[in-house]
Amino acid sequence: MEWVRILLSRCTPLFRRQRLDRDLDEELRGHIELAFEENRTHGMEEQEARTAALRAFGGLTQIKETYRVQRGFPFLEQIGRDLCFGFRQLRRSPGFAITAILTLALGVGANTAVFSLINGLLLRPLPVPRAEELAILRWNGSLDPGFNYSFGAPMFRALEKRHEAFQSVAGFSSNVFEVHSGSGNVEVPAVLVSGEFFKAMETSPLLGRCLTPQDDQPGGGSTGFAVVISEGFWQTWFNRAPDVVGRQLYIDNAPFTVVGVIPKHFFGADPTRRPEIYAPLWAEPVVDAPFSSIAGGSSHWIRVIARRNPGVSLEQANAALHAATNPILDESIPDAKWIRDARSRHFQLAAEPGSNGYSYLRSVFVKPLVAVFSLCAAMLLLACLNLASLLMARSAARERELATRLAMGATRIRLIQQLMVESLLIALLGTAAGLITVPVVSRSLAAFVLGNNRTARLLVTSLDLRVFAFVALTVCVVIAAIGLVPALRGTSTNLNEQIKLGARAITVRKRMRTVPRILMSLEVALALILVVSAGLLARSLTRLYQSGLGFDPKGVVNLDLNMSKQSLVGEPLIRWYQAYGDSLRRLPGVKGVSFVGVTPMSGSWMTGHLHTSLGGDREVDLNRTAPAYFQTMRIPVLTGRDFEWSDTPVVGRKIVLSQTAATQLFPTQSVLGQHVTMDKASYEVVAVVGDIVYASIREGTRPEAYLPIMQSEDQKGSYTAVVRLEGSPVGFAAAARSLAAKMAPEIPAPEIMTMSSDIDASISSERMMAMLSIFFALCALLVTAIGLYGTLAYATARRTSEIGIRMALGAQRTAVVGMVFRENAWLVAGGTVAGLVVALLATRALASFLYGTSVRDPWVMLASVSALTAVASAASLIPAIRAARIDPMAALREE
Amino acid sequence: MGENKSDVLQGTLDLMVLKTLESMGPLHGYGIARRIEQVSGNTLALNQGTIYPALLRLEQRGWIKSEWGTSETNRRAKFYSLRRLGRKQLETETRNWERIAATMARFLTPSE
Repeated sequence: MEWVRILLSRCTPLFRRQRLDRDLDEELRGHIELAFEENRTHGMEEQEARTAALRAFGGLTQIKETYRVQRGFPFLEQIGRDLCFGFRQLRRSPGFAITAILTLALGVGANTAVFSLINGLLLRPLPVPRAEELAILRWNGSLDPGFNYSFGAPMFRALEKRHEAFQSVAGFSSNVFEVHSGSGNVEVPAVLVSGEFFKAMETSPLLGRCLTPQDDQPGGGSTGFAVVISEGFWQTWFNRAPDVVGRQLYIDNAPFTVVGVIPKHFFGADPTRRPEIYAPLWAEPVVDAPFSSIAGGSSHWIRVIARRNPGVSLEQANAALHAATNPILDESIPDAKWIRDARSRHFQLAAEPGSNGYSYLRSVFVKPLVAVFSLCAAMLLLACLNLASLLMARSAARERELATRLAMGATRIRLIQQLMVESLLIALLGTAAGLITVPVVSRSLAAFVLGNNRTARLLVTSLDLRVFAFVALTVCVVIAAIGLVPALRGTSTNLNEQIKLGARAITVRKRMRTVPRILMSLEVALALILVVSAGLLARSLTRLYQSGLGFDPKGVVNLDLNMSKQSLVGEPLIRWYQAYGDSLRRLPGVKGVSFVGVTPMSGSWMTGHLHTSLGGDREVDLNRTAPAYFQTMRIPVLTGRDFEWSDTPVVGRKIVLSQTAATQLFPTQSVLGQHVTMDKASYEVVAVVGDIVYASIREGTRPEAYLPIMQSEDQKGSYTAVVRLEGSPVGFAAAARSLAAKMAPEIPAPEIMTMSSDIDASISSERMMAMLSIFFALCALLVTAIGLYGTLAYATARRTSEIGIRMALGAQRTAVVGMVFRENAWLVAGGTVAGLVVALLATRALASFLYGTSVRDPWVMLASVSALTAVASAASLIPAIRAARIDPMAALREE
Repeated sequence: MGENKSDVLQGTLDLMVLKTLESMGPLHGYGIARRIEQVSGNTLALNQGTIYPALLRLEQRGWIKSEWGTSETNRRAKFYSLRRLGRKQLETETRNWERIAATMARFLTPSE
């Protein structure tokens, strides 16, 4: 306890130094007066009495200093003084201060932002008790190599019953519900969960109860299907009514009873989603009507999360799953061939750590995020190098000050401490500035990465402890990097030499410039690597955009119509589509309207097997279209005719083939009027159209076939209206929505997207990487230019008198420009060569992100080197020209 | 300094101050310094000023306390007095010192 008291008593002087100093003065004065008086009473002369009193007391100043040291924290006070001094120094050179702080802010800010995103997506555990006990189940042994995380209902139900290693096994499947409100249906993000879900997550409700295995039964519990709602949904739909438990919600035209409210912090097992309604897994046929994955049996749609029994390790859980694999397969799969195939591909169930839940976005974004993070780290390194060079140049300019202070008896440690405190100040200011921008940056980054993904909700990227720890670590590295080197170098000079030679110490200076030169060359090399990466990614992105799509997306707008829950069926529904299309066509600016099952590059597509009588057999992409689709999308009809509204089932099945599909199926004959079969039904080819990109730009064009929506077996098909517009889509969207509301009041308001934004979304990770890398490359160029300019300007300023002498002796101005310029030219050349070599090796890591672009693309290399050279030349020319303007007389007079 | 005066041993000044305060009651810095000089019979080379950092150290440890008062000659002065903790400390330190002194004495007495 003693140290606490000492600490506290030592802290007070930090705030009341002046008063305490006055007290001490008074006390000591009193002491000497008392001694003086006593001496006087012993009969001394006045002068003699005073001298004796002072002599007996000892050195007054030393005593006061010892007292002050004893009183407070001299080290802290010293740092305080250094900080004040540092502030004044920075204020004196605002250009340097702003550059240093901004570059650091940029480096730290970008790193923290990307790290928060990585943290949110990959690292942060789910906000549930003992998240480390959670495991995600997966299987392998399908046609795709790699792991599958989706299970079919029968296999999940078989898994759910087994409790060898797990306390509870829970399934979940994200969904969007149409919830009936006063004014039609509204789409609400939701999730279907199995009975043990809330038990596995160990969540307690805010109100009412959670779902239990009794709720997850065919047809629901005793009172029908139950749902649990989120706190947010309770707020917006029920205005936090306390009697919400027991109320009914109409979801997808069926009644559900609210049984509980879940607190805000809980969001289920997928960190990228924010479901508002949790419904039992068995309600799937109700909410997916008229479809049913449960009845379908073979579809894989359930993710599985499980909580391990206490004391059971992941290895033990895996061993248990391994043993259970065969019984589960036999129990859940009725199809013997499937089982045989699966076994031949080594079907295996397994568990992996699940403390941070499951998100399919991980598989999509992990690699780009890690790549972006490396770019960020390179950027931060570059900012540090830059700062170190600038600080070194600055401390070189201050070497006389430092040498003088060393000569006056300051210890080297004390000077290093002061220089370190100054860099600490810069680091703190830079980090603080960076941290302020982080929330904004990381939010826009998250929106950039996930925002276009329609169902994914934003990740909560607020800063948490892990991110703070990360920033603290970065700051420490930064301080060590930027403070130590210049501080050591600045104080290492031979004292005598310095003071003797002063500003003319050319020999000394030459020796001293190797380290800054190496640092600057490294910076140039790093900048070149960033620029080359950006160039490659940007070129790849333009290649993606330039690769012909086969149709013209500009001016096309998609309206998603969700017809599955309204009452029209079959023929009347087709007539509704036709009528709705006609009404849309009459809206101003509309040039063409059609309907399609799946819009190109929306992230999903259908496939089918086509056979010909000649034995041709080919898997093709499939789509369903209404008349005028090809005209609206500007896909050329090469031969034959488009579908017509009169192509009803009675006239026989029709099909349109793409050019590639046609030539592959019928290599030698004319195609029109030929028949192809699919699933034992025969189709007549009525047209051949141009190839288009359907699945994704990366896949390019593939053989494709189109079927008319009028002949679909699906009696309640939901199609997307594609509309070619001239002019702004804003007014059109409102008109199209009100038309839909008038003509089909039951359906939710259609989501309207432009085709171009859909295409952008389909390559969002490529776009993100390209844009971020371009941003980093521009920053790198700017920072490098500032560094080259700053260090050269400092160096030149110290050579003023030398240059003055040279010019007085007859050196031409151009020669002076050349001399100064050459200093940086060598450095840039060295850095460029090094950077190019590293870039050629390092960009190989980018190869998997590149489309139609070689990692050694000569044009990108050339353009990057030219850009860097241009920027570096500009930055070096300014100090060079300024050096040439030196007036020799003025420079010599300064000596 | 006189040849026959010895420097104050590190750490013993604290003990002297505590002992002085115990026997004399509340006292100002000058009084303490004079008292130590008198008791030691002027055999110590004590700069009176060094007493102040020592007083501060003792106060920080909570062994003594100080308050402003008036001296016998009607002068404002800071008076120091022993606290309970200091009294206990004095006892331990005294015992320690006695032990060390006895040991040293045994060492230094010529053995017969």
